[in-house]
Amino acid sequence: MSKRPTPDPVAVLRGHRASVMDASFHPSRPLLFTGSADGELRIWDTVQHRTVSSACVHSAAHGIICVASSPLIGANKVISQGRDGTVKCWDIEDGGLSRNPSVTIKTNTYHFCKLSLVKKPSAHAPQAEGHCYHDETEFRGAFDLESLDGSKEKAERGLTESSNVVGDAHAEGPNYVAIAGEQSHEVEVWDLNSAERLVQLSQSSAGGSPNISTSERGMCMAVQAFLPAESQGSLNVLAGYEDGSMLWWDIRHPGVPVTSIKFHSEPVLSISIDESCRGGISGAADDKIVMYSLDHSLGSCVGKKEISLERPGISGTSIRPDGKIVATAGWDHRVRIYNYHKGNALAILKYHHATCNSVSHSSDSKLMASASEDRTVALWELYPPKS
Amino acid sequence: MEDASKRRRELEAAVLDKVGEVISAVRSAKRVDQVICALHSLAVLLFPLDYSSLLSGSIDQRYRDQVLSAKAPPEEERWEWWQAFYRGAAYPTLARVLLFDVASNWLACFPISARVHVYDVFFVSGLSSEVVQTLVPCLQKNASDGHDINYVLSNTERLLVHCLLENDGVLQMAREFCQSEDSISERTKPSVATLAQIVASIPDKARLRAPVSLSSHLFFKQITIQLLSLAEKRDEKVLDKVDFSNKSDMDDALQFVGETFSRICRRGSADVLLSEIAPRILRHVQSLLSSDFDSAVIDVFEADPGSQFWLKMIEAIKDVYAVERISEQLLHHLATEHASDVEAYWILWLLFHRTIRHQTSVRSMFVDKFVLWKTFPICCLRWILQFAVLECPPDANSLTKGHSIRGLVDTLQRLIAVWSKKEFVQSASMEQQTYVSAAVGLSLEKMSKEELDGTNDVMHLILQGVSCRLESPNHLVRKMASSVALVFSKVIDPKNPLYLDDSCSGDIIDWEFGLATPDKGNLDASDCPEKDVLKSKASILAPESDFNHTANRGISNNVKSKTKKLSEFKFVDPDEIIDPVTLNHEPVSDIDDDNASENSESSSDSSLQPYDLLDDDTDLKRKLSQLVDVVGALRKSDDADGVERALDVAENLVRASPDELRHVASDLVRTLVQVRCSDLAVEGEEESAEDKRQRALVALLVTCPFESLDTLNKLLYSPNVDISQRIMILDVMTDAAQELANAKTVKPKHRTGPLITSISESQPWFLPGSSGPPGATSWKEISETGTLLNWSSRYERELPSKSGQIKRGKTRRWSLRSSSVQENQMEWSHNKFPVYAAAFMLPAMQGFDKKRHGVDLLDRDFVVLGKLIYMLGVCMKCAAMHPEASALAPPLLDLLRSRYLNLRTSVQCLNDTMQT
Repeated sequence: MSKRPTPDPVAVLRGHRASVMDASFHPSRPLLFTGSADGELRIWDTVQHRTVSSACVHSAAHGIICVASSPLIGANKVISQGRDGTVKCWDIEDGGLSRNPSVTIKTNTYHFCKLSLVKKPSAHAPQAEGHCYHDETEFRGAFDLESLDGSKEKAERGLTESSNVVGDAHAEGPNYVAIAGEQSHEVEVWDLNSAERLVQLSQSSAGGSPNISTSERGMCMAVQAFLPAESQGSLNVLAGYEDGSMLWWDIRHPGVPVTSIKFHSEPVLSISIDESCRGGISGAADDKIVMYSLDHSLGSCVGKKEISLERPGISGTSIRPDGKIVATAGWDHRVRIYNYHKGNALAILKYHHATCNSVSHSSDSKLMASASEDRTVALWELYPPKS
Repeated sequence: MEDASKRRRELEAAVLDKVGEVISAVRSAKRVDQVICALHSLAVLLFPLDYSSLLSGSIDQRYRDQVLSAKAPPEEERWEWWQAFYRGAAYPTLARVLLFDVASNWLACFPISARVHVYDVFFVSGLSSEVVQTLVPCLQKNASDGHDINYVLSNTERLLVHCLLENDGVLQMAREFCQSEDSISERTKPSVATLAQIVASIPDKARLRAPVSLSSHLFFKQITIQLLSLAEKRDEKVLDKVDFSNKSDMDDALQFVGETFSRICRRGSADVLLSEIAPRILRHVQSLLSSDFDSAVIDVFEADPGSQFWLKMIEAIKDVYAVERISEQLLHHLATEHASDVEAYWILWLLFHRTIRHQTSVRSMFVDKFVLWKTFPICCLRWILQFAVLECPPDANSLTKGHSIRGLVDTLQRLIAVWSKKEFVQSASMEQQTYVSAAVGLSLEKMSKEELDGTNDVMHLILQGVSCRLESPNHLVRKMASSVALVFSKVIDPKNPLYLDDSCSGDIIDWEFGLATPDKGNLDASDCPEKDVLKSKASILAPESDFNHTANRGISNNVKSKTKKLSEFKFVDPDEIIDPVTLNHEPVSDIDDDNASENSESSSDSSLQPYDLLDDDTDLKRKLSQLVDVVGALRKSDDADGVERALDVAENLVRASPDELRHVASDLVRTLVQVRCSDLAVEGEEESAEDKRQRALVALLVTCPFESLDTLNKLLYSPNVDISQRIMILDVMTDAAQELANAKTVKPKHRTGPLITSISESQPWFLPGSSGPPGATSWKEISETGTLLNWSSRYERELPSKSGQIKRGKTRRWSLRSSSVQENQMEWSHNKFPVYAAAFMLPAMQGFDKKRHGVDLLDRDFVVLGKLIYMLGVCMKCAAMHPEASALAPPLLDLLRSRYLNLRTSVQCLNDTMQT
C-alpha cells in the first residue's frame, strides 16, 4: 500500500501582522483565539474561517506570548499573557472581547515561559468526542443569526447552549494560573479571581537534589499545572528548566518537589499533560521529544518513549483531548503528529515557512491549529474522531 | 420506627444513669468490697454471670447479700442493655474509670475471681472494636492525675493480651464488622481504617517491659493467624453470603483484614505476615490443583469460595506500598518453599489477576519494578514474566506465550533500553545486571523473528548492549552478553546459533550465571532477612563506638536505615490514614484508561495510519539574502553546500549594489579569492563554481571598484595566495576593466512631441487621431447591425505587431516592450573605466619586481607576469582616448622598459597570453 500524501491545512487564517505566538480553542464554541508578537489578540470563527474580532490587548512593543482558555475558568473567558509583565483575563461578549480586562495580574515577569491554566482529569475524557459541540451546523446557524440581527436573546441562547454542553465540566472555586515567576527560576501560582499570588515554588530549597543549585537549573521555561485525581484537590505543577530538567511540585509542599527528572539536554520549552493527568510529553531545544508517565502515588515520572528528531527545537506540544495523538510545533517549520500510545510518527505537516510557535487541539478533537512566525495560523483536520 | 428509636433513647438514658450511679459509688467507696459490689450491679445487667456464688466467697459478708440479691434480668433485656452500653457513650466513660481509678486504686486488692468476673468482663465480653479503642490510647498515657501510671499501663497491657490474643479479639472485631446491622455499619464504616491502624500500632505503643506477646513479631503473627482463620472458617457460610446477599458487610470485614495487613506491612512486618500467608495459600492452591486438574483451572478457582477470599483480600489492600511488600515477600517465600512454576503462577493469578487489570500501580509494580529495579531469584523472575507479561498459564516447566504479544514486546523494549545502556553496565550491581540480563534473555526467547522485526530499535539496542558488555573485563558480564547474543541469534535463525563463548555450548542457558542466590538459605534461617541485613549493618558499625553505646548505636542505626528505606516511598508515615475514597477512585479511572488504550490499539490499524513521512529539508536551507550571510557562508569551508549556495547568489546580490556593499566589499573579495572551489564542488562542476566565483569578483570590481581593488591588489602580492589565485585575480581585473569600459548608462531619451495636435482637415473631429506606431492602418468604422438608434460610432484599425512580441491566441499583451522601443528611448554612455584606471594599474605595477616570500614574478612565476602585462595592456586599451591614459602611459612604459624586462619578451608574453 502506498503511503498517503501528507494532508494540507483545511484553512489558513491570515491577518496577523506579526509572528503568531500562541493559539487556543474556545472550550465549547467554534472559536479560536490567537495572539501575536505585536500584542494583537484575534478571535476567529473556525467554521467560517473569518476573524470575529481583533483587539490590541498588550502593547505592540512587548506582544503576547500566550493565550489560554479552559472550561475551568469559565466558558466566556480568555486569558492573555504579555511580555509586558501582565496577565489579563477577558470576557467574551457577543463576538468580541470586553473593553477592559476583567482581571489584570501584574506578574512583573518578562520571560518566554508561557503560563498554564490548570488541567483537570475529565471524568469523561475518552467519551469526549461528540460530547462537546456535537452539532456544528447548529452552531453555525446560531452564529449566523447572531451576526445578522445581533439579537441579544439569540446570543444568549447560543451561550446557554454551549454552557450546557460543557456544564458539568464547570468547577466552581478558585481558578489558578501557574507561571514562571518574577525571579525566573521560580514558579508562581496566582489566583485568577483575586489576582493574588498564592505560592512561590522555588527550587533553591529543593531537598531532593541538593547538589543542583538554582543557578544550574536556570530559568523556568515551561510550566503545566494540573489536578491529578489522587492529589485530593491540591494543585500540582510540572515545570521545565533551562538545563533540561523538570521538577514536579505539589503545592502542599512548596519547599520540596515531588520529584525531579532530566530527560533533555537543552532547555525544556513545552510540557503537555494528557486528559487523565497520568502522562505527558515534553519538547525542548534539543533533538528529543519525550513521552512520560506520571504516577502520583509513587510520585514518579518515568520516561515511556523518547522520539529523536532530525532537527532540534520543539517550541510547542499538544495532546489531543481524546489522548490518541500528539502534535508538536518545531523550529524546523514542521508540525509533527505522533501516536500518543505507541509513540510512532504519523505525519509531518509542512505548511508554514517559518518557525512554528505553538499547536493546539480543539476540545472535540476535530481541529488542530498551528501558529507560526510566518504570521499565519493553519487549521488541520487529522484522524477525525469517530462520532 | 419512632417507637424503636424512642425506646433506644430511653434505654440509653437508663444505661447512662446506671453507669453514673456505679461511677459515683466507686468514687465514694471506702472499701474494695463496695467497688466490687457497684461493678457487679452493673455487670449483672450486661453479662450472663452465674458465678455469683464463686464471687461471694471472697468478699465480706455484708456485701455478699447485696451481691447475691442482685437479680439477673432476662436474656433479651440483657442483650438490649449490652447493645446500648457498648454502642453509646456509657462504655467509654466507665472504661476510663475502670482503667485509671479502679486500676490504680483498687484492682490490686481485688480477689482473683472478682477481677475476672466484675472487672475483666467489661473488656473481654465487650464489643471488641470499642474495647480496643478505649484500651490502646491508655498505653500512651503519662503519669498525670496521681494515678499509679505503671500499674495502669501494665494492667492495660494485660487486658490487651487477654482480649486480643487469648480471646481472639481481632477475629471478633472482624466478625463484628460482618454482623453489624445496617444502621451500625454506617457508623463503623469510617472506623475500619482507624481500627486497623489502632490494632497495628499496639506493639509500637507498648512499653519495653510489656509482655513478650505484645512484641511486634509475635503480636502480628498472632493476629495474622486469627484473621486468616477467619478466612478459612468463612469458606462455607460467609463467602456464600458475600456473593449472594449482603455485600457491604463482607466488604467491611475484608476491608478490615486488608487494612490490618497493609498496616502490618507498613510497620515493617511483611515477612511475619507472609510467613503465615504463603504456606496457607500454597496449600490451598496445591489442593485445588491436585484435586481437579482436568477441567479448566480458571473455572476451578472461580468456583471455589476459598479462592474468593484470597482474591478479595488483596483487592481490599489499597495501599500500594503494602501490596508491593506483600508480593515481594510472597515471591521470596515461594522461592524458598520451591513452589513449582504452575503453582506459583496460579498463586499469583489467584491473588493479583484482578488487581493487575484494574490498577496501574500493581501492573507497573510487576512489569517495571519487579523486572527492572528489584532482584529476585531467577525462578521468581520466570513467574513474574509468565504472570504479568505473557499472561497465560505455563506448561509443566517452561514459559509459554499467550496470544497477546503486546505486553511482551513492550516489556522487552523497556528491558532492552535499560540493558543496553553503557551506564547500566558500569554502575548497576552485579545482581541487578544478572537479573535484568536474565529477564532480557527469558523474554527474548519468547519472541519470534517477525515480532522482533516489528519493533523499532530492539535489534540495534541488543547489539549495542552485547558489544558494550563484551568489552568488560568481568567474565560474568561477558557471559551475560554471550548468552543474550545466543538467544538472539536463535530467534533470528534457529539453525545457526551464535556462540560467542566456549563455555555456553549447551542448549539450555543458565540465567543465574552460576550465582547462587544467597536469599534462599537466609530466608530459611530467619523469618526476616531484611532485618537481619539491617542488624548486621548496624553491628558492623557498632565496634567503632564506645562499647557502652553499642546497643544504642545499633538501634539508632537500625531505625535510621529503616526509615531511610521507607522514605524512598511517598507514604512515610505508617500511621497515616489513607482515605479509601481516593484509593477506590483509582481503579475506576484505570478502566477508562485501559479501554481508551485498547480502543486506540484496535482502531489504530484503521484510523491512525501514518501519512507519508518523507521529509526533505529543501525549504529549510537558509536563503542567503544578505551579503553578510554570503561572507559567512563562504568562510565555512566545511559546509560545501552553503558555499555553493553562496556562490550562486553572490553575483546577483553584488549587482544589486545594496548600501552595505561598500562595507563588506573588501571582506567579500578576500573570501571569494580564498575560497577553494575545486575542493568544494562536485566532480565535473568545478568549472561552474570557478566561473561563478570569477563573475562575482568581476561584479564586485564593477559595482564597488575602489574598495575591491584595494584588497585585490594587496592580495595580488601577498604571500598567502598561490599562482592560480594570482592569475585569477589578474583575469578578474582584466574582465572588470573591460566591463567598465563597456558600461552602459541608460537614460531615457527625452522626446518632445507637440503639445497641441492639430486635426487635419481631411478627417472629421470625431475620428480618433492618426498618431500611433508606424505601420498602423487607417481607422475604419465598424458597421453596427441590429440597432437603428446608434449614437456612437466605433472605429478600429490594425496595429503592426511589435518585434519580439509573440502572438498567442487573441489576447494582446500591451506590457511587452519591444527591444526596439527601448532602443529608441535609451541612449548609451560609454566607458566608465578611465576614472578607475589608476586604481587598477598603479598598485599592480608597483611591486611586480620585488622578490618576496612566495612571490617571484621575474623568474619562477613568469606566467603571472605575462598575465599582469596583459591586464595592464587591456587597461590601457580601455582608457585609450581619455586624458587618464596619458597620465598612466609613462609609468607603464617605464615598467616595460625596465632592466628586468626587455620589450621583446614582454611583447612575447603579451602575445602568448592574448592567444590563449
